[in-house]
Amino acid sequence: MVTIYVDNMPYQVREGQNLLVACLSLGFDIPHFCWHPALHSVGSCRLCAVKIFRDENDTRGRIFMSCMTPATEGVRISINDPEARHFRASVIEWLMLNHPHDCPVCDEGGECHLQDMTVMTGHVYRRTRKKKRTYSNQNLGPFINHEMNRCIQCYRCVRFYRDYAGGRDLDVFGVHSRVYFGRLEEGALENEFSGNLVEICPTGVFTDKTFKKRYTRKWDLQTAPSICVHCGLGCNTIAGERYGTLRRILNRYNGQVNGYFLCDRGRFGYDFLNSDRRVREPLAKTGQGSGSTALEPISADEALSRLVDIVQNSSRVIGIGSPRTPLEANFALRDLVGEENFSSGMAQAEQDLVSLIVHILREGPAPSASLRELESADAALILGEDLTNTAPMMALYLRQSVRRKPMAVVNELRIPGWLDAAVRGAVQGNKGPLFIAAPIAAGLDDVATETYHAAPDDIARLGFAVAHELDTQAPAVVDLPADRHALAVRIAAALREAERPVVVSGTSSMSPAVIQAAANVAWALHSRGRQVTLSFVAPECNSLGVALMEGRSLEDAIEMAERGQVDTVVTLENDLFARAPRDLVDRLRASCRNFVVIDHCLTGTAEVADLVLPAAAFAESQGTLVNNEGRAQRSYRVFPAPDPIGESRRWLSKAVMARARGRTEEWESFDDLVTRMRQALPVFQPVSNLAPSADARIVGRKIARQPHRCSGRTAMLANVSMREPPPPRDADSPLSFSMEGFQGISPPPLNPRYWAPGWNSAQSLNKFQEEIAGPLRGGDPGQRLIEPRDNGGREYFNAIPVAFSPSDDEWLILPSYHIFGSEELSALSPAIAERIPSAYVAIGEEDADLLGMSEGMLARVEIAGAAESLPARIVADLPRGVALLPKGLERLKGLAIPVRARIGKAVQAEKS
Amino acid sequence: MIIPLLQGLKVTLKYLFAKKVTLQYPDEKPQLARRWRGRHVLKTHASGKIKCVACMLCATACPAECISIVAAAEPDNRKYPESYVLDMGRCIWCGHCVEVCPKEAIEMATAYELAEYTREDLIYDKEALLQSPQERYVVEKRKAG
Repeated sequence: MVTIYVDNMPYQVREGQNLLVACLSLGFDIPHFCWHPALHSVGSCRLCAVKIFRDENDTRGRIFMSCMTPATEGVRISINDPEARHFRASVIEWLMLNHPHDCPVCDEGGECHLQDMTVMTGHVYRRTRKKKRTYSNQNLGPFINHEMNRCIQCYRCVRFYRDYAGGRDLDVFGVHSRVYFGRLEEGALENEFSGNLVEICPTGVFTDKTFKKRYTRKWDLQTAPSICVHCGLGCNTIAGERYGTLRRILNRYNGQVNGYFLCDRGRFGYDFLNSDRRVREPLAKTGQGSGSTALEPISADEALSRLVDIVQNSSRVIGIGSPRTPLEANFALRDLVGEENFSSGMAQAEQDLVSLIVHILREGPAPSASLRELESADAALILGEDLTNTAPMMALYLRQSVRRKPMAVVNELRIPGWLDAAVRGAVQGNKGPLFIAAPIAAGLDDVATETYHAAPDDIARLGFAVAHELDTQAPAVVDLPADRHALAVRIAAALREAERPVVVSGTSSMSPAVIQAAANVAWALHSRGRQVTLSFVAPECNSLGVALMEGRSLEDAIEMAERGQVDTVVTLENDLFARAPRDLVDRLRASCRNFVVIDHCLTGTAEVADLVLPAAAFAESQGTLVNNEGRAQRSYRVFPAPDPIGESRRWLSKAVMARARGRTEEWESFDDLVTRMRQALPVFQPVSNLAPSADARIVGRKIARQPHRCSGRTAMLANVSMREPPPPRDADSPLSFSMEGFQGISPPPLNPRYWAPGWNSAQSLNKFQEEIAGPLRGGDPGQRLIEPRDNGGREYFNAIPVAFSPSDDEWLILPSYHIFGSEELSALSPAIAERIPSAYVAIGEEDADLLGMSEGMLARVEIAGAAESLPARIVADLPRGVALLPKGLERLKGLAIPVRARIGKAVQAEKS
Repeated sequence: MIIPLLQGLKVTLKYLFAKKVTLQYPDEKPQLARRWRGRHVLKTHASGKIKCVACMLCATACPAECISIVAAAEPDNRKYPESYVLDMGRCIWCGHCVEVCPKEAIEMATAYELAEYTREDLIYDKEALLQSPQERYVVEKRKAG
């Protein structure tokens, strides 16, 4: 710690920071533009000027850029010095020379960093009458709106897009006063993190196009802390609602999870809530029997009486849970049907993989890495994951990790780590070790040290070989080809050199061997005393959570139903057709008398149900999700779903009460349910400590979901009903659906928005952090449920698979993943839907030659008797004998992948 | 005794012949000040397009929270209010909405005869606000007569 003097008052700050970060951490307001906590300092905007004095007798001082000056012992600065203030106001004046002042029509207005900084510096009057320069804008695709006239040339966008996120298609063009930030040609931004430009841009050049369609000022949005449901990482988000529709997602900082950024799937996938596939009222088959009659809307009361009737008259009910639904709803279902009748809703193969991950994280000495920890890893090995498409934020952080090792040079040269341009100059494009072994080239390949494209079995063999190189106790791989052995030696050497290596794997190759190999590598590194962490990609937002409930697999449940002991199947927010082959689900449907589905979207499963109950989706329900790290996080209701849509656990609670006559313990409130869950499943002990309980108050008040400036309260519903209804009550959380309540800095798990006096933009986050880019004030939300046991010495996995051998007439079909399309909920959002690729079959070049196929030709894919014609996509580095089918795309749902298939030319292809 | 009586009579006579201040409302209408804050009007450009760009500042400035706007954009990104609801029953006639408007799109006209039989009728939508206020009482009276 060093002492700095700000306006003659001494303060203790951490050494090695720059003055801007130190002062912001202390709570001072220093205007800034080009500096961003994740992008560091380049000193180009000149706005953060402060005055530095040589000693206490120096009265003149000199103006310095605070972001470029280290906080050293005894440095004396003045933020409020008149000359410094005047300087900053002048800087704003010339930055505003060409700014169109179109705040009334600008989507950024009211949450604009430029507005805040202009007010903060005190510049109020435009003195020049010169013409402003104007630009034409580009269509940047369905996510981002471009309005170049508003640009103030801070370069944050290209620094984020190119330097941080590795994008290539956004750049800066032109010279001096005519600098243009855009694409060379119009078109959708290709990078998976383009949505962050909305928050990165200090003004309204890049704004959210999906939000523009239903635009509302920031202060009119009702917001609540939420958790992203579109992949297994559990990024924290702020979801905003107005007039009963969910309107946008913003990042919610969590020092342990998603930091400052979100991926595009998470940011723009929310729109499924407003989609026409939503179930908005209970549906039922009116005629008796199954299959033939269509679903028709019924009243909520009738639906409830039918549900009660069904569960009361059923001797045995099977509950099929869901890995995309919070713990509480799954537990409510488990409570209804009983432990032995509860299925996790995952197919056997998937459940085995997730359970294996849980087992490894519990048993092994290597702990699981939090998302932010990946950023500080100095070596990484990825086994069998296409991270950019399966867990995008993980890819973003691993991309930063390759900068970790070359930083040694920077430290040697005594360049501070935050001096971004100097650091990049010193590093010269050197990259730390990042090895990727995956079936096909992935988004991270451009920063990888070496890549290896092979079938999952070969990837696992490579992993096992690396583990053996690191620790001879680990089982050796026999007859590994020399080149692969050499690669394993190189990977092992790089990992051995690292201090904080990370091994990444996951479920996407659908291969337990790959996961076991990753565990072996991590354990071998641990035995060598490295601070190794493991990171597994989980397929869905609550996969680990339902795995911890240890329900039956989907196949098990179906088998049980077929044995004829089951009257009723209750499926909770789960599309079974996406998880199991069609005939298997049909058999389940045929074997039970009543098939009840509780879901928020009309899935294929809901379409064949006898009774469909409308469920609230993520922003309309409260619940706890367990992410890939094993971290439980609480998501709150942003707005109450309109009647008769109800939270799944509410429907289930009524069913439980109907079924359990004479049972004393009941759960009415959310907290009761959590308490019951903790009693039944001790692994969820920490869940009740995630956030203050529903009766918590701050200075006697609930926390307001609406900002104090929220407008139109008495007129919003005036055209519907003259009588202003009371705001909906929230008995489940300490948040209120109103602007009345506590408006200050709330505890992090409950904080509904970022706003501080004078800081209307997302940059107000600095007021909520203990120190810049550090934990939130009051601690980062979320608690880890899975920690490795203390005593090490786990047995290595030794089931090394045999090498993959391609056959001439059969191909191994593996899933390929797409950030847009492979996840079923986000795929219902119109903006995301525009970016979903059409179905295809990917084959390697060699295979294409063998089959005589070329790009785009129709191929006939024959899987277990069923054939499908798909256009071929030729992928250069796909290993021989492996073909890929995109996961989740409509036509290819429910395929039990991996599977062997025959591929040939389709008949139609010959005609064309 | 007679003197105070004459003094009082003097006042009476003075007002008897002075210009009368009592207005025979509603047959006569008062002369309103130019800055009179009467019923709101949404202004249009000469082309007929609404001036309002749905920036929400009036709704935000409104202390009675009686304005509610839904924004929309034309294909050329020109913004306009898709719906503009003003609850006259809640309005406190402070004029903040007019003062805050960056486009001079909302004004307060001089119309003051706004009474209705139901509160529902006091909710003005965009179409109602776009029309200049009618002098309704007189019209109806003439109809009756």
